[in-house]
Amino acid sequence: MYKLFNSIDANATKIVIRTTDGACIPFDSANTDYQAYLAWVAQGNTPLPAEETK
Amino acid sequence: MSSVVISGDTSGAITLAAPTVAGTNTITLPATTGTMALTTGQIGMKNRIINGNMVIDQRNAGAAVTTSSSYVTDRFAQAFANASCSFQQVSDAPTGFINSLKLTVTAGSAPSVGTNNVILQKIEGLNVTDFGLGTANALTFTLSFWVKGSVTGTYAVSFTNSAFNRSYVATYTINSANTWEQKSVTIAGDTSGTWLTTNGIGLQAIWDFGSGTNLNTTAGSWQAGNYYRTSACTTIASTTNATLQITGVQLEVGSAATTFDFRSYGTELALCQRYYYAPAISTGIFGGLYNNTSNGMVVVPHKVTMRAAPTITYTIGTGSLNGTYLTADQSIVYIATNTPYLSAFTASIEL
Repeated sequence: MYKLFNSIDANATKIVIRTTDGACIPFDSANTDYQAYLAWVAQGNTPLPAEETK
Repeated sequence: MSSVVISGDTSGAITLAAPTVAGTNTITLPATTGTMALTTGQIGMKNRIINGNMVIDQRNAGAAVTTSSSYVTDRFAQAFANASCSFQQVSDAPTGFINSLKLTVTAGSAPSVGTNNVILQKIEGLNVTDFGLGTANALTFTLSFWVKGSVTGTYAVSFTNSAFNRSYVATYTINSANTWEQKSVTIAGDTSGTWLTTNGIGLQAIWDFGSGTNLNTTAGSWQAGNYYRTSACTTIASTTNATLQITGVQLEVGSAATTFDFRSYGTELALCQRYYYAPAISTGIFGGLYNNTSNGMVVVPHKVTMRAAPTITYTIGTGSLNGTYLTADQSIVYIATNTPYLSAFTASIEL
């Protein structure tokens, strides 16, 4: 399961949170965790929405 | 005659001395005129396997790993299904080594079709660019390792590309139970297929311990598809309390295994930290403020440039996550607090 995340800083790295361990996964095509997230989405899954920006 | 001395014209000399053991050894000189050079791959980073002597274990510090599809010693991953398994860095090793990676099948079960029961290392493409895989100039390479198993028989080690659509299965035999034996397999590099020479997976070395029958093929040649073993291979995944240990793993260019390329501990650790970094933290990694008094940030410089922007885990001292800035060289964690610090941190960018 994953959860989207909105940073307060527009220049920050776009990330998604892996809810099982709280890991921050950057949107980087070379990152295998990000590849796994994309594969999970491609299977029809939807990440939890991001909380409102503080 | 025990030695021949070639004296220089003005000074210096070269002595060729026979070994002080029985038998005849042959040194074949190059067939061309010129300066004699070592074969490609015999100098520099001869061993393309990282942590082949299993001394680095950043994640587990010697603790057992019982979760499938995770890392044991640095750079060495495993996967299993049906059976229950335990993997661990242990101090039992052959002479010259101090650690090995040990698999124990804690509850054996016959593998179903599609099951991967393997130990593997994924090698970054940038570290095997000279192999020429997928080209007419592909080099021959040799994998050597020490193995100790409780069950004798035929086993397999295989090599695949990143897309798992090119495979070569080589077999080896454990002749004597619970005894360290050194094995080597030599492979003519694949001249077909797509092999990455980027920061992606360049080559994978995979030790099978009983995968599903769909992964069986014929040993000794490159195949289109993903294969790990042959039908003749031992399936210790189905044997409770079976063990398998490996160490001294070396992958090198050439048609013969050479002595293990011992690197300094610091060098080996740095090579591992390109893929995983877990700094030792006692009181925390402290940061400073940015923007205003309620927004803090902690900057964690990576010890070495990582393969790409890593996935990070952390424990925030106080406050909540405001965002991150992640690159191959550093991780920055923004925290909603005026006293920013982390009490735990890891960065992972494994292949």
